[in-house]
Amino acid sequence: MSMTSGDLITERRLTIPTGIPTGILFAIVGYFAGVWLGNLFGLFDDQNTGVILGYLFGTAAFLIGLGFLNYPLARVLGWPVDALGEAYESRGLGRYFRLSLDHKVIGIQYLVTILTMLFFGGVGAMMIRTALLSPDPTIVPPGQYVALIGLHSVMMIFITSAVIVGPFGNYLVPLMIGSRRMAFPRLEALSFWLVPPAAVILAAATFWGGFPTGWTGYPPLSEQASQGMDSYVVGFILIGLALVTSGVNMLATIITLRAPGMTWSRLPIFVWGIFCTSALGMLAAPVLAAALIMLGMDRTLNTPFYLASNGGSNYLWQNLFWFFGHPEVYIFILPAFGIVMEIIPHFARKPLWGYRIGVVGLFGVALLSWFVWQHHLFVSGIAPVLRPFYMLSTELISVPTGFIFLVALGTLWRARVWMTVPMLFCLGFLFNFVIGGISGVYLSDVPTDVTLHGSYFSMAHFHYTIMGGEIFAFAAAIYYWLPKMTGKMLNQTVGKIHFWWMFIAFNSTFFPLFIAGILDMPRRVSAYDPSLVFLNRWVSISAYFLFGSMILFAANIIYAWFFQPVRAVSNPWAARSLEWQLPTPVPAHNFERVPVILAGSYDYGMPNAKPVADLRGLVGATGGS
Amino acid sequence: MATRTANPSRPHVIRVLIPWIILTVAGWIAVSFIHFPFDLSVQGQDQARTLLIMTYLATPVFMGVVVMLVYSGIVFRRRPGEQLVDGLPVTGNTRIQATWIVVSLILVLSLAVLGITTLISSQAAQAIGAAGRAIGGEGETGAAIKETGSELQVQVIAQQWYFTYRFPDYGGVETTHLELPAGVPVEFHVTSLDIIHSWWAYQLGVKADANPGVDNQFHMTPRTTGSFTVRCAELCGIWHGEMADTTGQVVSQGDFNTWIAQQQSYFAEIQKALPSYGPYYFPAPLTKGS
Amino acid sequence: MGARLAWVTGGVIVIVIAIVAFFGYFALQRPGPLKGPATDIHLEVVAAVGSALEWPRPNDPHPDWVGYLPTTVLRVPANSTINMTIDQEDSATGLRNPFWARVQGTTTGSMHVKYFDDKGNPQEGDMTSIDPTQAAHTFAIPDLGVFVPLLGVNANAPANSMNVITFSFHTPGKGVYHWQCFVPCGAKTVFGNGGPMQTYGYMAGQLIVE
Repeated sequence: MSMTSGDLITERRLTIPTGIPTGILFAIVGYFAGVWLGNLFGLFDDQNTGVILGYLFGTAAFLIGLGFLNYPLARVLGWPVDALGEAYESRGLGRYFRLSLDHKVIGIQYLVTILTMLFFGGVGAMMIRTALLSPDPTIVPPGQYVALIGLHSVMMIFITSAVIVGPFGNYLVPLMIGSRRMAFPRLEALSFWLVPPAAVILAAATFWGGFPTGWTGYPPLSEQASQGMDSYVVGFILIGLALVTSGVNMLATIITLRAPGMTWSRLPIFVWGIFCTSALGMLAAPVLAAALIMLGMDRTLNTPFYLASNGGSNYLWQNLFWFFGHPEVYIFILPAFGIVMEIIPHFARKPLWGYRIGVVGLFGVALLSWFVWQHHLFVSGIAPVLRPFYMLSTELISVPTGFIFLVALGTLWRARVWMTVPMLFCLGFLFNFVIGGISGVYLSDVPTDVTLHGSYFSMAHFHYTIMGGEIFAFAAAIYYWLPKMTGKMLNQTVGKIHFWWMFIAFNSTFFPLFIAGILDMPRRVSAYDPSLVFLNRWVSISAYFLFGSMILFAANIIYAWFFQPVRAVSNPWAARSLEWQLPTPVPAHNFERVPVILAGSYDYGMPNAKPVADLRGLVGATGGS
Repeated sequence: MATRTANPSRPHVIRVLIPWIILTVAGWIAVSFIHFPFDLSVQGQDQARTLLIMTYLATPVFMGVVVMLVYSGIVFRRRPGEQLVDGLPVTGNTRIQATWIVVSLILVLSLAVLGITTLISSQAAQAIGAAGRAIGGEGETGAAIKETGSELQVQVIAQQWYFTYRFPDYGGVETTHLELPAGVPVEFHVTSLDIIHSWWAYQLGVKADANPGVDNQFHMTPRTTGSFTVRCAELCGIWHGEMADTTGQVVSQGDFNTWIAQQQSYFAEIQKALPSYGPYYFPAPLTKGS
Repeated sequence: MGARLAWVTGGVIVIVIAIVAFFGYFALQRPGPLKGPATDIHLEVVAAVGSALEWPRPNDPHPDWVGYLPTTVLRVPANSTINMTIDQEDSATGLRNPFWARVQGTTTGSMHVKYFDDKGNPQEGDMTSIDPTQAAHTFAIPDLGVFVPLLGVNANAPANSMNVITFSFHTPGKGVYHWQCFVPCGAKTVFGNGGPMQTYGYMAGQLIVE
């Protein structure tokens, strides 16, 4: 708090300068130490033990080099510490390139990292579509094709787990609930700094030829795979850890740090979305981690958890994986629901129609998502008596999902719609998601699932929900909130071109894949029936256009952010919600004083509506952290 | 609040309803032209019928959302140059919300009832020994294969990267391709020698995962003669896409007898080396390092 | 401002080029050398590529892997008879499914094998099937119905000796067909089907009919 204690820290701090260069150096040393140790004690001479330990040691060393141990070490050694550290206070561009505990810095770090990874996954998708220009695997050899499937899918799963919670959840939740900080800033920073190592580890799989399993990692194939599979094991464990740390932090923040007057019924609906997704992530990821640790043990210690021939069962993996995996897909989509329901009222200039039913919808989806996972196993040979239950529970999810549509359509009804770019993306989301949702019902029904399971139909279905849903919501959020986060307004005309380009290209890419699935094309194949050549070439060319629209998106972001000199006004959308009442750029501790919330965020057109908050705060409250 | 908003809404409601009805009917007409090609078997026919019913049900839902989106986006939009004003301060309508919940529940439950009755009736038909209509596999039994007598037993053996077939009724002969007699119920026993595959006979409407150490059963009755394609529907490594066989045939009983006799004589020599017929096999090597 | 723009532009360009080059390099590399179409194909199967007699391959990333040499991408003319000669230098591993010990799909329905008997004496003869446990590899083009088991070199055979297997098959019209081995010869992987069995250039290959 006072400058004198800060001086003390600089005198007694660790002599090693912590930061990204030290982190990378430590990571390299840690990796080779792990490889050496693993090769020393490994049961087999196939280096799997070494590679897994190398990745784990390297990640831990990276985090230490970054400075994660400074604070606990100082506490252990009895040195005086500043609770939130100088990292919190530092301004300037450098703060984005070191361990920061400021949720706004972490949000920006997340955003840039996610966009880079998105480009990586997108290039992977383009390679896949290029390979499928030919019905035979001649453009890309089949081994690399299967590895590309794995790289693209797992990288995209890494991204979509965090694409909204990472940048927007971290940046906006404290601003929206009137808090000066997050509940656990170190956990929050950890949840971000685990993502770049996970991405690097995943990309490192290519040095071993990649891994052949896609994102589902079904054993025994994943036990048969080369050392590239270890990237999947460790990378996914790190992402699971990120989900847990971020979930704990978000839940604690939303529960404990709401400003006075921010009652549960006034909570912005986006925060509710983050709340539900955090709860799901926190509870689901440990199951995945357990399954992955068993897979790692099968690969290194010769345990037979998943080997039927030695007393295990590959159903164990399928159940554990999908027990995580199905909540995981709602981890993707719940914050997107939140974004759509958050943005629509501000541009419809109407109160959110049916706020309560919207929240019930979010919770309903979150709750039901725990009871549906075996619909992924309808044809795998599960007990037939289980099928009706999972069919019913899966179909029931469409009821709370329908609430989201009810809220969105009700809010649009007789509104004064301001057709901005974020609004267009929200409408695009609703269009895509209704297709994604309906196709999901097709897959939940056992008789139709027998034919559609594992085909391009299911692949098109989840791209409609994740790409057409979550990524459209992500684009809406970027156009909507980037003026607050960076102080720069994105070009609206380019944004409109981007929307229509992306919307048409997206539907042109993925709708034909439903037909390909119905016409006997299994997922993840490098060779397909020559009769489907036209369909696949159409899809590939559409996919190139889709990629082009993403390039335009990136160019729009980069131009506005770095090249455009004009600063945006504080509240360009004339929105009521709390984050827009703050000045741009947002001050270091967000609020001078803890604000007092006086009214709901969506009270547009209400006679005698109060301003959303009194930013002067409670009389006498200084709002210390 | 409700009485105040009800009247001005009426022209909008009518203008939404009319295109919705027109588009739904047009959609239904379009759907009626769809023919799903996986109806070579009784089970495939059931699947195609269910898929068609669901498409009929989905059409009004999809059209409704689209019409609402387009209508709201065009009619309720703020014109260029218009001042930024707020819309109606309506925060909800219990009656509409309740109706929505009830309608969506009815839709969902009727779909579930449709699916479950199809499943139950097929299992009942199975129990009394009629031509099998069971959709989806019967699941892992683990026990020795029961002798049902009326059904042709076919074992599908998956391995990286080929499906072979064994016929216990014909001395356990193993073949590289599959031919089936028309009209005869078949009980498939799908298993794998190594990793997980999925046996997808597209035109027959059969998809069953091949797991090592598991006898995944599936019932199917081919309706008429015709050809079918077999593919692997579960990622199984480098040649997953090539694990396909387009030579499957449903033939008459006489042709089938000729074919199986040919196979028996052609493979008689290697027949002696095959392991005795069982629900599943664990050939070595079993683990890594061996 | 100018320095910042340069940094941003430079950073974006570097990242984009790095990612595109990464994928391009990974996805598009393929084994060589690729030859023109041939009707007489001569292959060598070795237990480890490093120990090859005829076609030693320098700088191989996996010299300890079993593999076909010199290449696994075979180019053949359409609608013609292909004469295959395979020098089989590996010892027996045994088939995962004994069924594949039957020769199928060759022009004569059999194959011609020069091998060594249990006493180490050279022998020669036509075979329609072999003892499944004595198979070292198979040469199989499933889409063409060609399945040829390759007899393993007898333990009593002289050092550095090999079995020579010759057979012929017909090619159909143009197309790309995969060929593979049905013996679990990817040692130290689960079910013996990893590593070389799933890596292009070792035991996995394509028959390109032109």
